[in-house]
Amino acid sequence: MSIDMSQFYQVFFEEASEHLANMETMLLNLDVGAPSLEDLNAIFRAAHSIKGGSGTFGFTDMTQVTHVLETLLDRLRKEELKLRPEMVDAFLAAGDVLRTQLEHHQGGPEADPEEIRAVCARLDELGVDRPEAAQAEPATPPGQPRHLRLSCVLPADLALDASVVGNLLDALAEVAAVKVLHRPDAADPALDLTLTTLRSDGELRDSLAFFVAAESVSLSAHAPEEQAWGLFEDAAEPAQAAADPGFGLFDETPAPATDPGFGLFEDDAPAPPPAQGFKREDEDQDGGYGLFEDAPGRRENLPHRDVAPGEAPAAIEGPGYGLFVQAPNGSGLFEGAPGAERMKAEAPAPEKSPGRRISDQPGVETAKAGRRDNDKTLTATSTDTSIRVSVEKVDQLINLVGELVITQAMIADAAGYLDPAQAEKLLSGIDLLSRNTRDLQESVMSIRMLPMSMVFSRFPRVVRDLAGKLGKQVEMKTVGENTELDKGLIEKITDPLTHLVRNSLDHGIETPEKRVAAGKNPKGTITLKASHQGGNVVIEVIDDGGGLNRERILAKAREKGMNVSDAMSDGEVWLLIMAPGFSTAEQITDVSGRGVGMDVVKKNIEGIGGRVELESITGHGTRIVIRLPLTLAILDGMSVGVGGETFIVPLTAIVESLQPGQEAVKTMAGDSRVIHIRGEYLPVISLAEVFGQGQAGDLTQGIVMVVEAEEGKAALHVDELLGQHQVVIKSLEANYRKVPGISGATIMGDGCVALILDVAAVTRLGLRPGRTQ
Amino acid sequence: MTTTEPSAGIVSSGEYLTFTLGAEEYGIDILKVQEIRGYENPTRIAGSPPFIKGVINLRGVIVPIVDLRIKFKLGDPVYDQFTVVIILNIGRRVVGVVVDSVSDVIQLSSDSLRPAPEFGSSLDTRYILGLGTLDDRMIIAVDIEQLMSGQEMALVEAAAS
Repeated sequence: MSIDMSQFYQVFFEEASEHLANMETMLLNLDVGAPSLEDLNAIFRAAHSIKGGSGTFGFTDMTQVTHVLETLLDRLRKEELKLRPEMVDAFLAAGDVLRTQLEHHQGGPEADPEEIRAVCARLDELGVDRPEAAQAEPATPPGQPRHLRLSCVLPADLALDASVVGNLLDALAEVAAVKVLHRPDAADPALDLTLTTLRSDGELRDSLAFFVAAESVSLSAHAPEEQAWGLFEDAAEPAQAAADPGFGLFDETPAPATDPGFGLFEDDAPAPPPAQGFKREDEDQDGGYGLFEDAPGRRENLPHRDVAPGEAPAAIEGPGYGLFVQAPNGSGLFEGAPGAERMKAEAPAPEKSPGRRISDQPGVETAKAGRRDNDKTLTATSTDTSIRVSVEKVDQLINLVGELVITQAMIADAAGYLDPAQAEKLLSGIDLLSRNTRDLQESVMSIRMLPMSMVFSRFPRVVRDLAGKLGKQVEMKTVGENTELDKGLIEKITDPLTHLVRNSLDHGIETPEKRVAAGKNPKGTITLKASHQGGNVVIEVIDDGGGLNRERILAKAREKGMNVSDAMSDGEVWLLIMAPGFSTAEQITDVSGRGVGMDVVKKNIEGIGGRVELESITGHGTRIVIRLPLTLAILDGMSVGVGGETFIVPLTAIVESLQPGQEAVKTMAGDSRVIHIRGEYLPVISLAEVFGQGQAGDLTQGIVMVVEAEEGKAALHVDELLGQHQVVIKSLEANYRKVPGISGATIMGDGCVALILDVAAVTRLGLRPGRTQ
Repeated sequence: MTTTEPSAGIVSSGEYLTFTLGAEEYGIDILKVQEIRGYENPTRIAGSPPFIKGVINLRGVIVPIVDLRIKFKLGDPVYDQFTVVIILNIGRRVVGVVVDSVSDVIQLSSDSLRPAPEFGSSLDTRYILGLGTLDDRMIIAVDIEQLMSGQEMALVEAAAS
């Protein structure tokens, strides 16, 4: 019976996106000049895990991309290649492609195949092109050179083709120093050579396998007749000679035939999957042609055209290229040949040691398996420390604990009537219970808490991409990434925060020239900061850019027909930019500036119970402060009594509560009452009136609670203040419907339901002329 | 057409929970009933129609309470220790209805249901599955799901305006 893999898809999706996110973070943190091996290993592991997972679940498109990615990463971590900035770019691009593919498998739009191809090609190219590393190539492999005599009989038709012989010699020249004793001619098709080589016979035979049947080759030990130096000088000649016919051949060679060989050979991956090889060819066709014309040295690839892609070309190619670059005389040998330098540059990384090379040949599988095992042990430690639980389960747990807290409060309430002397044990037990319950609630709530780094981690990338696009130099700093916030809030804060960061980058940070002119560091700084302040989480977006421009904002506001005056304080002016439809960007960029920015940000943040503040100093920067409640599920509230009913007013909305004197209460237009508090006249809204409990009572008899909402401040008249609580928010809509003026419900300590006020809506209801009676 | 098909979902089991409202006896599909409990004072909700008594805390779930006696103008809406709330599971919602008393669980086959004559009563005949007879009593079989999600109950968002 086959197992239905689709049930595990979700796990893979989650893991893969986690790995992608990790990879991106690590890439962005990578010090390009001196990458730490540990980081490279970690990135490699992430790519490898995605590859493994996608392979298991049959997402072959992802496997292909990760394979290319992994190959390059693998060589980086083995220090065969040097990390370069464009590689990081390519890795990031590959990450993006993988993410699109991942989303596609989750039902999203399909990834652009062109893009995938381009990314793969880019990665391949980066793996091939390595000018510096070539020079850094270390010494010759150990072992003594052997002198051999080689003779073989070429098939008659090939023997007369000078180019074939040339190719053969070139192939050999890569693995050995060659001296030609007899070139095949019409009379004698045999080829006689002496070789000085470090390679085994098998390797030499492999090099020839494309040209002649293995059994027609005879190898025998041969005493060196001359010094190696002489040999090389001689050898240069045939190579040169061979180059010429090569030219002629290339012109005639039908294009498609040359391509497969090319694709395969540039790709240094051990036994690349054919699909990948072909993908490369499409990309390489152009470059390939150019190369053929000016680099005859590459002609050794040509004969391989009839090799089946699966025939492990790496085995031949590996040693061939290796020696080519390694042999101290290698370049001397080819000095005369045009494009010799180029060849060197194009040559894939030679292996560091013969040992490694051997493992790469027939033992590709074993080498990989070993690596995989290694990964397992490394990742095992990190996976064991966390488990994946669905959010519903956690929410259910939180609900249950919420119930427990209420039940505990009810018991404590009931026990309050007992005689402490008689029920001493019971009461101390209840005390303990309440302590434990509180601890339990805290721990359970913390399950939903995620560090802010979940949000912050995406910004280095955003900033990097955007700064590049805008031609600005920006450094991104994050402070307090470990501050924890409810998962629901984390999800909801991401978009507004992205908008703010983009805004800071686009409008805040100036171009390097402007910054220098203003005497600032050409590199701007955007700081993201998260911290706890009281019961809130405070997130700040700080830039050291140009700051807000008072005059421009005022001018713009007038243009929009807003009611402004020059006498407004800076704070009031800054608030204007959060008004709907306000954008001072001189031109609309695709980054920001559509005028839907700040007001949407403000609305979204207020929607999750947060507040936005803005400070700015012209010429020095802007600071945007977002205050958020710790969690969506719990609210700090003041319970108030109105006509015998209990309501909860969110603490964040309350400015102050007071008992007004008679002299502070005034009337306006007959029945509308206002209250004079600290120089402001605030409209009085009677909760009793709003909630249909009849006429509002005497203001001086109750309490007036000054609240701040979207519409501004207002004074809510309530009968009494009952106390301050942390309440668990319950939805009214789950079983009922939305009630005007009410944002939700909660269960009080006595088991009764109390409604939570939606201060903004209540203010609106109360100020509306035809109020609900 | 005087009868409606039973609401989608579970086919009627033929078993009805009967309750009284004033002098009348009603029956609702037993499968829709979650539990029966005593009446406790709900938290009033401003601006709701008088038959919606408010919401209660049912083991952490906020449940609205509808007094069918007020809705159908039957019996005295008195609340004492004998007042009964039937907690219903309708769709994905939980709703409590206040009735005078719960009497029995009876078996009524759909064949034995007679169509209700159509005349302007406070209970729209759309919500009546039919009239059943048990001994000499008339049982009004109500499609409680339709009734509770109907416009005039104002329990769901669509009815909010």
